[in-house]
Amino acid sequence: MADAHAAAGHDAHDHKPSFFVRWFFSTNHKDIGTLYLIFAIIAGVVGGAMSGLMRWELAEPGVTILTAFTNQSLPADAQLAAAQNFYNVLTTYHGLIMIFFMVMPAMIGGFGNWFVPIMIGAPDMAFPRMNNISFWLYGASGILITLSLFAPGYGAQLGFGGGWVIYPPLSANTGSPGPAMDLLILSLHLAGASSILGAINFITTIFNMRAPGMTLHKMPLFAWSVLVTAFLLVLSLPVLAGAITMLLTDRNFGTSFFDAAGGGDPLLFQHLFWFFGHPEVYILILPGFGIISHIVSTFSKKPIFGYLGMAYAMVAIGFVGFIVWAHHMYTVGLSVNMKAYFVAATMVIAVPTGIKIFSWIATMWGGSLEFKTPMLWAIGFIFLFTVGGVTGVVLANAGIDHYMHDTYYVVAHFHYVLSLGAVFAIFAGWYYWFGKMTGKMYREWLGALHFWVMFVGVNLIFFPQHFLGLQGMPRRYIDYPEAFAQWHYWSSVGYAITIIGMVVFLIAMIDAFFIYRKKAADNPWGEGATTLEWTLPSPPPFHQFNELPRFDRGDAKAF
Amino acid sequence: MKKILAAVSGFGALGAGAALAERTQGGVAMLPANSALAEEVHFFHNWILMPIITGISLFVLALLLWVIFRYNSKANPNPRKFSHNTLVEIVWTAVPILILLVIALPSFDLLYKEDVVPDGKQVAIEGDGQTVDFVFPNNFADGRTVVRPRHVEVYLESSSGFQKLAHRADYRLAGLGDPEVVVEFETPPAAGDSVVIRGGRSLIGRGDRKQIAMAPTMTIKAVGRQWGWNYTYPEYGGDFEFLSDLLPEDQATPETWLLDVDNRVVVPVGETIRVTTTATDVIHSWAMPAFAVKIDAVPGRINETWFAAEREGVFYGQCSEICGIRHAYMPIAVEVVSRERFCEWVGEQQTALGVERTAEEKAAEPLCGSSTAVTRMADAADILSEED
Repeated sequence: MADAHAAAGHDAHDHKPSFFVRWFFSTNHKDIGTLYLIFAIIAGVVGGAMSGLMRWELAEPGVTILTAFTNQSLPADAQLAAAQNFYNVLTTYHGLIMIFFMVMPAMIGGFGNWFVPIMIGAPDMAFPRMNNISFWLYGASGILITLSLFAPGYGAQLGFGGGWVIYPPLSANTGSPGPAMDLLILSLHLAGASSILGAINFITTIFNMRAPGMTLHKMPLFAWSVLVTAFLLVLSLPVLAGAITMLLTDRNFGTSFFDAAGGGDPLLFQHLFWFFGHPEVYILILPGFGIISHIVSTFSKKPIFGYLGMAYAMVAIGFVGFIVWAHHMYTVGLSVNMKAYFVAATMVIAVPTGIKIFSWIATMWGGSLEFKTPMLWAIGFIFLFTVGGVTGVVLANAGIDHYMHDTYYVVAHFHYVLSLGAVFAIFAGWYYWFGKMTGKMYREWLGALHFWVMFVGVNLIFFPQHFLGLQGMPRRYIDYPEAFAQWHYWSSVGYAITIIGMVVFLIAMIDAFFIYRKKAADNPWGEGATTLEWTLPSPPPFHQFNELPRFDRGDAKAF
Repeated sequence: MKKILAAVSGFGALGAGAALAERTQGGVAMLPANSALAEEVHFFHNWILMPIITGISLFVLALLLWVIFRYNSKANPNPRKFSHNTLVEIVWTAVPILILLVIALPSFDLLYKEDVVPDGKQVAIEGDGQTVDFVFPNNFADGRTVVRPRHVEVYLESSSGFQKLAHRADYRLAGLGDPEVVVEFETPPAAGDSVVIRGGRSLIGRGDRKQIAMAPTMTIKAVGRQWGWNYTYPEYGGDFEFLSDLLPEDQATPETWLLDVDNRVVVPVGETIRVTTTATDVIHSWAMPAFAVKIDAVPGRINETWFAAEREGVFYGQCSEICGIRHAYMPIAVEVVSRERFCEWVGEQQTALGVERTAEEKAAEPLCGSSTAVTRMADAADILSEED
């Protein structure tokens, strides 16, 4: 173990700035991390409410619920059209909000900001002011996407309802001439700029500010995961920015990059979008991989199995993630040889992913497992991510995807890896570091109850959706044939259970802050928790590591 | 219990149970296949992919349960400290690669079958009681010529019926890969008997049902628009175009609401049908699960796919690319009918649509015209099912 005894702030009181300066002009990585987490929680509530409206609508066939959210003075058919538009808007913004405004801010902005500097023994991020700009660009981006919800898109209908993939011509003047789409493009520009700045910050911090002696091969896996993620962000987001800029000029300045009538090609957008979009899904899950590694190791009281394999599996996943994009486009009319290449490349990803799954299990093997709340989420993650992963192998086969593409099978697949993967990893990290971040412990049984209720709920939502997909139910449908009613009903029941789980979460948090009020120890998890954050007080001092921890004596490791 | 049984049988081959209703309440399986190709898709999913992914998931679950019960802090208070084991790391890298190879080989085979439109053709030659050599012109595109015995099927049509002959036992092949392939009979076919030779590289179907797929005999063009489809039948007249829109709720049954349309696509059973798609406004997607077909309709592009229906009936699909507020209300309905009924329907439509056809044009219409050769997948399918 590193001699990080100097890490604890001996300075009796931190010189914290006044409230406004502290939270609005913040340059402190922990405060900015907290801001990101608050942002992600708000976005998660909004995005979750949107999925609630969708599941409520889909609980039975017919357009039954969403007409109540339209202007009641309109005639019935206009109300129906508004409801149909609203449903598409919900699917679109649910996806965008959960991806850009919930998972990314939580994992990279929140946990990344909080724990990457601490884990590598750095006092702060390399560019603290840029860190602040990153966050507030996210805020501006959030305002723009909110405005876009209330701006006209198609005719007088509000918002853009073309799916998070924003394919033209539906997102061009042909399908959505109103300003909703322009606002959405600007929102994505700002979110992208924010993420690029954040990624540059993480890369610089990790390359230059590791504690003396902490080589990359001694660096904790969460820092590794954020490093790989940051490279994916820096390489993929400019491509999205280019694509949506072209879309913007197509819409407003008479270009025709994506307009066939003017010599352009709608599929060019899809290639550019997925060149960003596929790395993006790894951006969403890689930090989760890092979090899960620490939790599994901590609660097994055992070092991570195959550390180097784990680190380079993430590098491999990141690299291969850039050369598989067109597996999202098997039905657009690609040539058969191109499809065959993307089938082969896509299947390759299963290998490093398998290494990770088995290494987590090998970390537990021979350990002394304690099933604290973070460990419950981590074990749940491992199993559910496996289920989502193997359905990904099914979909990788273009010959099968011609059947499954754009059905609920795909919806089930990516929610298993994201809603039950990334979100479980976020909750795992939240409970793991809650004491460290707030200085207070949550009540263990409430955390466990939250896990179990949510485990049942989300599985009930998404498992039946495989069946709907196999039966051919297409995605993004407000209404469906009678035969699909039963599985949709159970899926909606699952959502109701999940809501109860979220209420338990809310109660657990209120309880931890105001009722339980148990002080968190520096290291509440015992011998298994070996990374640097557990050498600091809970919560850590405003500025940590006035004297840097050292790893250059002996074979000390930081994980 | 009934539901569980349905679920179990659902994962099995569906070819035999194809008469079941398509979309079923609580159903868990792929929709019944109505083409040899779709049956191959089902086989690949149900018997290769499903067992593998179920096995992997259960294996991971079993490992997790084992560590939970064996290595919890009560059962194992003193953790071991190992963090490497080269052998297992090699195994869990190599074994997944092998599993992926097991998946990849049939996957590529299936993909090429789906995406390469068949180009098989047949010639029918009358026997005269003396000729033993029959010539099949091997004039296919590069890389598609007939080079293996399995690329050729020979049938004999006689007074006793239509019968598939066996390579080596009944005939031998000479000149495979050359511009002319010669089918050499041991005994000359009788006068009045017809020798039907089929050649091509697209071998579709599983087991006994595998046969050479014929080149498309006709084309339907599906044009997506917000929110419905236009269909044209280019071989049956330039103006042979009709709109196909959602059947209103008061005209549909509860089972077919959101699936059925006012004007269905009518196609003949057994024939290879070429489908081309494009769109006039935004991207749509022409999906027909019974044929395992889904192809986007993209403005400015023409996409192509194919299917060959095995039995008559009405089959439904739904637009599968988000296209605006009424995305859920532009289904696709294909009505598969006999060739005779199809030709009747063509005549009715031509009259209704005011399509002007000259006698020569009428005669040249595939399947229906008097001067067009008939190449029917259905014949062979019928024979094979009779053999059963």
